Amino acid sequence: MVSMTRGAYAKPGTSLDFKTGNWRSTEMPAHIHAKAPCHAACPAGEDQQAWFAKLQEGHAEAAWAELVRANPLPAITGRVCPHPCEGACNRAALDGALAIHNVERWLGDEAIRNGWDYPVAAPRANAPEVGIVGAGPAGISAAYHCLRHGLRATIYEASPEAGGLLRAAIPQTRLPRAPLDAELSRVLALPGITLNLRTRLGRDVSLEELRHNHPAVLLAPGCQASTAWSVDGAVPADLREGLHMLKDFVDHGALPEAERVVVHGGGNTAMDLCRLLKRSGSKQVTLITASGLPGPDTDPSDEINVVPRELEEALEEGIEIIDHATINRLIMKGSRVTGVEIMSLRKLPGRDGRSHRIGFEGTERVVAVDMVIPCIGERVEPQGLSGLVERGYLRPSDRFGRLNEGELFALGDARGDRGTVAAAIGDGALAASAVARHLAGEADPVVDDRPEMPNAGLNLTYYDHLPRAEAPKLSVEERTFDTEIEGDIGRVAAMAEAERCLSCGNCLACDNCWTFCPDNAVIKTVELALDGSHYLFDLDYCKGCGLCAHECPTGFIQMLPNANGATEGAV
Amino acid sequence: MSAESERAERLTELRQKFGRKPLAPGEETIPHSPREAQPKFRGLDSGHRACQGCGEALAARLVMESAGPDVMIANATGCLEVFTTPWPQSAWRVPWVHSLFENAAAVASGMEAAMKAQGKNTKVLAFGGDGGTYDIGFQALSGMLERYHNVLYVCYDNEAYMNTGIQRSSSTPHSATTTTSPAGKERMGKRHLKKDLLSIIAAHHIPYAASASVAFPADLQRKVRYAMGIDGPTFLVIHSPCPLGWKHASALTIQVARRAVECGLFPLVEIERGALTNVMPIRDVRPVTDYLSIQGRFSHLMDTEDTRAEEERAHLQALADYNIQVFSLQGDGEDPVDTGGSAAVGRSGHAARRA
Ligand SMILES: Cc1cc2nc3c(=O)[nH]c(=O)nc-3n(C[C@H](O)[C@H](O)[C@H](O)COP(=O)(O)OP(=O)(O)OC[C@H]3O[C@@H](n4cnc5c(N)ncnc54)[C@H](O)[C@@H]3O)c2cc1C
Ligand SMILES: Cc1ncc(C[n+]2csc(CCOP(=O)(O)OP(=O)(O)O)c2C)c(N)n1
Ligand code: SF4
Ligand code: SF4
Ligand code: SF4
Ligand SMILES: [Mg+2]
Repeated sequence: MVSMTRGAYAKPGTSLDFKTGNWRSTEMPAHIHAKAPCHAACPAGEDQQAWFAKLQEGHAEAAWAELVRANPLPAITGRVCPHPCEGACNRAALDGALAIHNVERWLGDEAIRNGWDYPVAAPRANAPEVGIVGAGPAGISAAYHCLRHGLRATIYEASPEAGGLLRAAIPQTRLPRAPLDAELSRVLALPGITLNLRTRLGRDVSLEELRHNHPAVLLAPGCQASTAWSVDGAVPADLREGLHMLKDFVDHGALPEAERVVVHGGGNTAMDLCRLLKRSGSKQVTLITASGLPGPDTDPSDEINVVPRELEEALEEGIEIIDHATINRLIMKGSRVTGVEIMSLRKLPGRDGRSHRIGFEGTERVVAVDMVIPCIGERVEPQGLSGLVERGYLRPSDRFGRLNEGELFALGDARGDRGTVAAAIGDGALAASAVARHLAGEADPVVDDRPEMPNAGLNLTYYDHLPRAEAPKLSVEERTFDTEIEGDIGRVAAMAEAERCLSCGNCLACDNCWTFCPDNAVIKTVELALDGSHYLFDLDYCKGCGLCAHECPTGFIQMLPNANGATEGAV
Repeated sequence: MSAESERAERLTELRQKFGRKPLAPGEETIPHSPREAQPKFRGLDSGHRACQGCGEALAARLVMESAGPDVMIANATGCLEVFTTPWPQSAWRVPWVHSLFENAAAVASGMEAAMKAQGKNTKVLAFGGDGGTYDIGFQALSGMLERYHNVLYVCYDNEAYMNTGIQRSSSTPHSATTTTSPAGKERMGKRHLKKDLLSIIAAHHIPYAASASVAFPADLQRKVRYAMGIDGPTFLVIHSPCPLGWKHASALTIQVARRAVECGLFPLVEIERGALTNVMPIRDVRPVTDYLSIQGRFSHLMDTEDTRAEEERAHLQALADYNIQVFSLQGDGEDPVDTGGSAAVGRSGHAARRA
């Protein structure tokens, strides 16, 4: 018989001899890293869960480094992104979504204040050099991601300064010059990026030259050409298109004077312009948009395409919004407009399977106005891109932005299916990754098709109530033309906000599984386990009760069909 | 002896017993497997034969983590004894004695006296199920408390005689079905009430008696540590769901235990010298049906057609309300130690709360 010594550990004679793992009949626990919904919703591809985790550990610089793996411009997106991540955040149903954009902005500003180094190495001197047209967010992001893949990048920008619409159109009240300049110059100064200003494709350089000089060319010229606007052929003599008016204002602070203004459109340009006009003294500013205001009855695809905070602030400031409506007719006195006829409409499915906007007869009404400003979008300026522009845009054939022309890509607004800074940044990352793989002779990167972690997959018992932190904001009376309206959330609130992250789909090392397993089949390790957690399942003893999966707050443990005799390494 | 030298002596004793021997020059350390290198004492290890999701196995392990390693155990007959020690194996990593069903407290008393006679400080624990504690072992327990032995008695309360096939005990709650209190035409499960054991224990005027639940391990372990620090008789009753006997899915053990506390049917209280000194406040009180409806042993109470079921549900609700009132369990506002705050987790095991 076996002799037992005191403390004879894992030796014959103890119950460890008896492998209860073979009791598992149908299911076994496994660590599954599902996508956090914030990550899945982020057009720039950030993994907010990952960088919040670093903040929870108290490491702000590491959190920033994790963030800029995807998005090199957090001080900018933290200010202007419509943050779909917050709309998707699982904490919304609990006590309010995480204030992701405020913390993102704080991290971006901290990096500028402290001069944190971007986690990229200088590329080799003979590394392939990718050509990029346009130094808007798409082009700059593409250049940065080229560096991350060991490539060099040369940017050709028509304007005297980099930034694209960030500089040319977004008002300082939302995006002040200081963080914009600081963040852009930090990225553009990285070794391996060459920026050629005042170099316009189609004037100073041709596409043929670029394609000859670079193994791949990325086109990120944005949309510069205005679309013609007229109502039944009537065009007021003093008609000015919204984006130009806005750019003029951003350049030299000039705005036209008018008592009663109607702005026609449903995007950022329209919204920014409405607010500026109101602030500059117009009595009555009305936005007419074919889209709907956000609400339970509005289909998200039909929602007005602006930053939610901007809409809220515009309403605070007294902007009148007539949604689901269009301008049917202009009422002119000579060549001057004196009124508009408005008609209700809706987006409805048509017989061809596509949605159409249908106006409703009998809903016409007339509003007296002094000025009408169309803000109905821009298209790609075809100069230098002959043959590539198709119905106004570059319209690439895949998610990487590839045009059917060898290593030629279209990014950002020029694609025609984008429209935010974050999407432009995401495009930069996608195109650079595809180019890098191509140049290395490899296939395109695989799509991350992991499922998302829904709210129902979490165990909310384990999250204490913590209210969302609010950033300071100027009151309506305090708002001017140049002071930023939303303030800094600050270190204390940013760190507290990070504590609120539920860590959806990824282990937060809470020890619940380790504490609750009745069979000691969860083993804690100091080292990271292969799946990135600190825990192993000892399938020699796990009976498959499912308790750990049920009590895992984050949904990181899921029960899978039992695998016969499988064990997870030597335990 | 001064307190200082007493401590030094105790430390030397512990080092000799459990400490690692210093390495000889050139001697290599034995590599530890991850299981051997667990950063907590596991006095009850894997390979035991408890059912999937057993609340009693979990409770005993949690107790051992906080009590061990310098303890010895007297264990009454019952599931815990049977599933941990099928001959010739043992899941225990401390000295462990199997008593009879009825005399764990008496055996523990003797072990404690022997330790004392030898001048040793090893703490003696006595373990029993609810059958072995509320019922058959009760007089031995009462004697042990009255003779003031330095023993921590832990009752693993799974509310029936589980090891012999789910017979009712005096701890089985009112209306629960067991093999000897079956629900049917005649009765709606057990006719009598769950015995208020803690009050009887408290009447012995012992230093410390408390109730705990597997759903609140940090609270449970704090209570064990507190009792371990007392020189004298102490008592802990731990609510330990039994998936087999309570008829719930094995994954729900913690949820069932949590709801018992949240509805007021199993109050978590601490009693010192007969006086109530602490309770765990309930943040959001649940209706008892939230607790009853996830267990097969109460399924007859969920029959919406049966007026008797409605009456029994109302009865159990009244019992829960009574507990909430008598022990003042209703929390006011959020409290880090109420049912909500005690459950909160954060990264790396830290509570998710702002400093
Ligand atoms: C008023 C306004 C407010 C907005 N607000 C927001 C907001 O709050 N949040 C948000 O996410 N998005 C907002 N947007 C949208 C956002 O600005 C764009 O989606 C984003 O800038 C697109 O980036 P891009 O790099 O594709 O193009 P752009 O930013 O347009 O940059 C294109 C660059 O290419 C250069 N270029 C163009 N043609 C050539 C050429 N032939 N040769 C060389 N260079 C060329 C241009 O000079 C420019 O620098 C707003 C847009 C406007 C107009
Ligand atoms: C004197 C005596 N009567 C009956 C038994 C049979 N028996 C063994 S365990 C047990 C029930 C144990 O119930 P409990 O104490 O509640 O422990 P559990 O198994 O539920 O954990 C019984 C009746 C016995 N061992 N000794
Ligand atoms: S709680 Fe955290 S991980 Fe979950 S969706 Fe919100 S930000 Fe993302
Ligand atoms: S709690 Fe333990 S025994 Fe149950 S499934 Fe998880 S690892 Fe296996
Ligand atoms: S229970 Fe906690 S420690 Fe275990 S896997 Fe889930 S998050 Fe990680
Ligand atoms: Mg029992």
